[in-house]
Amino acid sequence: MLLEIKDLTKQFGGLIAVNQFDMYVNQGEIVGLIGPNGAGKSTVYNLITGVYHPNRGNVIFNDQDITKMKPHQIAGLGIGRTFQLNPLFSDFTVLENVTASFNLRPHTSFFDIYFNTPTYRRNEAIIRERSLEILQLVGLEQVKDDLAKNLPHGYQKMLGLARALATQPNLLLLDEPLGGMNPSEIEFSLNSIGKMREQGITIMIVEHNMQILDLCDRVVVINFGQKICEGLPEEVRENKEVISAYFGGEHAT
Amino acid sequence: MAGYILCHSSRSFEYDLVFLMEIFIQTLTNALVLAAVYILVSLGFAFLFNMLGIFNVAHGSIYMAAGYLGYLFIQALGINQWIGLIIVVVLFAGLGLFLEKFCFRPFIGDFNRQIMIGVAIIAILETSVNILIGSQMYIIPTFVEGILKAGAYSIAWDRIAAFGLGGVLLILVILFVNRSRWGQQMQAITQNMEGAALQGINIHQISAIVSALGCALAAIAGILMGSLYTLDPFMGDGTLIKILILIILAGVGSFKGVIYMGLLLGALYATLPLLIQGAASDAVAVAIILVILLIRPQGFFGHEVS
Amino acid sequence: MKRDRMSKWAKPMALVGLIIILAILPLLFSSPYLLHILILTFVYIVGAISFRTITISGQFPLAHAAFMGIGAYTAATLSRYLNWPPWITIPAGALTAGIIGIVFGYPFARLRTLYYAMGSLFFGVAITYFVQSLKITGGYVGLTKVQPLFAGASRVPYYYFFLVLALVCALALYRFEFSRIGNNLKSIAQSHLLASSVGINEARYRVLVVAIGCFFVGLVGAAFAHYTPIVTPSTFNLSATLWLAMYVMIGGMNSFAGPIIGTPILYFIPQYYFSNLRAYSPFIPAVILIIIAYLMPKGLAGLIFMLKSSYLDKLWGRIKGKRVADAAGN
Repeated sequence: MLLEIKDLTKQFGGLIAVNQFDMYVNQGEIVGLIGPNGAGKSTVYNLITGVYHPNRGNVIFNDQDITKMKPHQIAGLGIGRTFQLNPLFSDFTVLENVTASFNLRPHTSFFDIYFNTPTYRRNEAIIRERSLEILQLVGLEQVKDDLAKNLPHGYQKMLGLARALATQPNLLLLDEPLGGMNPSEIEFSLNSIGKMREQGITIMIVEHNMQILDLCDRVVVINFGQKICEGLPEEVRENKEVISAYFGGEHAT
Repeated sequence: MAGYILCHSSRSFEYDLVFLMEIFIQTLTNALVLAAVYILVSLGFAFLFNMLGIFNVAHGSIYMAAGYLGYLFIQALGINQWIGLIIVVVLFAGLGLFLEKFCFRPFIGDFNRQIMIGVAIIAILETSVNILIGSQMYIIPTFVEGILKAGAYSIAWDRIAAFGLGGVLLILVILFVNRSRWGQQMQAITQNMEGAALQGINIHQISAIVSALGCALAAIAGILMGSLYTLDPFMGDGTLIKILILIILAGVGSFKGVIYMGLLLGALYATLPLLIQGAASDAVAVAIILVILLIRPQGFFGHEVS
Repeated sequence: MKRDRMSKWAKPMALVGLIIILAILPLLFSSPYLLHILILTFVYIVGAISFRTITISGQFPLAHAAFMGIGAYTAATLSRYLNWPPWITIPAGALTAGIIGIVFGYPFARLRTLYYAMGSLFFGVAITYFVQSLKITGGYVGLTKVQPLFAGASRVPYYYFFLVLALVCALALYRFEFSRIGNNLKSIAQSHLLASSVGINEARYRVLVVAIGCFFVGLVGAAFAHYTPIVTPSTFNLSATLWLAMYVMIGGMNSFAGPIIGTPILYFIPQYYFSNLRAYSPFIPAVILIIIAYLMPKGLAGLIFMLKSSYLDKLWGRIKGKRVADAAGN
């Protein structure tokens, strides 16, 4: 198991956002975490990446307990993520957004950076090259010199993805990657995610849009902070509890 | 002061008790008067900051300029004290209107430029006072003569009057904020400016009123300080720091907190100099505030700032 | 159609020209008062640049002048009471300022911007009161009998010393900003959530930039202590910090050249050209502030940028076009 979550509980004042939540992700899988709005999906991500610390429970990554670690340490261990609201480095260009995210591998020491040593220059060249590759993968190489804040929404989302890839993660946590996209953008995104899996990245996807199920090996369903179902996409799609959680008895699309 | 108390252990116990009691009463009076002055001057700053997010660095200089102008009218020009006070208050209310329209309103939301214009106002006010009135320390003659005597203890009437005036003004301000239509509109704007505007509240009108009120209160505070203690050319800078301490400890967004914290800080400023001499007492006071800021940055009565 | 841009050598050439002018200036103008004001301008330029460096990460060092004072007082006390030479006291002053910057920055850097700003404001005030209360630092009056850097009454060696010091500090801070380190700081300022998710240790970077800023302002303060006849607390109070902030703001907060433009305009010009106005002289900086606040939101550097992109570039384009036409016509 690459990632294991055990008995995870997080309470904000009177509200229990995540309640004794268990799940696991194996190397090479694409696992979906779906659930209606407010189910606690983003909170689970924040707990995994150290933005919040749980009241109870553990997060274990690569046999290491990362529950109490800080976000930048967890990023260093190989977990990358995107964000639902997709913050960007808005005053940087597209290319700068990606190169700015290359802090982990290769890592240059302060000394080398400040004194502009050959190591630093070499690393910066490698970073630039890899950034351009990533931009090609997500289809943004044409706009690489545009300011991030001027991009249309779908492009911004892909930039968020590019940025997460720059951390060269073993495990990539995607948070609503299809949010606000039109059908052609959705198709492109699904394609890109598939390509990432081919490159050996394990992926977990939080999504609202059921189209993601086609891509997943396994699906976990969460509602009110608790796991209500887990299994193959076909099983989950038919599950009565899942359908009622999403649609409350309404006709599914 | 502490040494003096220790040296008198040879005298009789009763005598010491009277002496201590007198120190206590004086300190208490000082604390209440200082609290009144700082609360009055801080309210003006708090109005603008809580309601519109305007950081008026010049507020301390406004307080100082009003004190000096009061001295000019009352002492140098010989105008009757109460009339002089009213003239200064009215002038500064007008100044508040002017500043709101031309210096604060254009820069709502732009912190950098607020500070720029604030520093410019400070320079203009300080230089004007320096040229027109002088850069020495002055005292405004007291408004109320005489001393209240009760047994062995005595308090100057002007201090009692100052505290009373402060109290009355405070009650009026509280009534204004809580009961009047304008005050409630002000509270609405403080909580949600856009929502208030959508509800038809005239933000410009309320901010003008509030700015005028704030400057008027600062003017009263300045003249009080000038007549009860002294005017000095640096009182603006020092008071700005005390205002900021008060606002931060009280918590952003809370007027109630200003009153409670004002009382507490008045007590602190009155008692600390008894224990520690000179500038060190200021240093210790700020050091205490720093520690509190580390422990509880959002203050005690306000809400968190995002 | 690509507009012809000025050669990329224009900026460095202008800079070299400026340095040459500054270098030969004492040979042309020997007025001691001019040199004195220029020396102070160099000091404040370093203060303004280092102030701005800290603001890259989104923090506001409202104790900055107090750190200059820490550098100055450290050097002054070491020189006066222990008789250490300037080449030891000046680095000592800079290091002390840097270390105190770290000690202060560490618990406060994790606070949100407003609270950090207030905290540093109060810290700077506390330093001022602290220095005023100690006999060893001379109380309100200040410290005298600090060993001067150079023997003799001439200001010229001091002028070159501070010119070189300012250039070195500016270069050092420039490199800091335009490297990956500076970039990471800008990342933190734009989105700290995002920055930590790509492995940037936010707390460490914040403390680092405060330490660097405090080190350089302490350095120039310590050097200043060996120039000025008396080291007084009022030189380093809250008002001084506010003015440093003003030098940065009217020059433009978003450009490295901002403080370098702003300081001469807001400090040098009023001090030198309008000093005969005496008591009225603070009006000049006030008026400048008002003009910039109302008319030039991006500061003077922003104005120059706008001018450059619209007017100067067109001019350059026309010059180049004429050359091409001449070449083609012949």
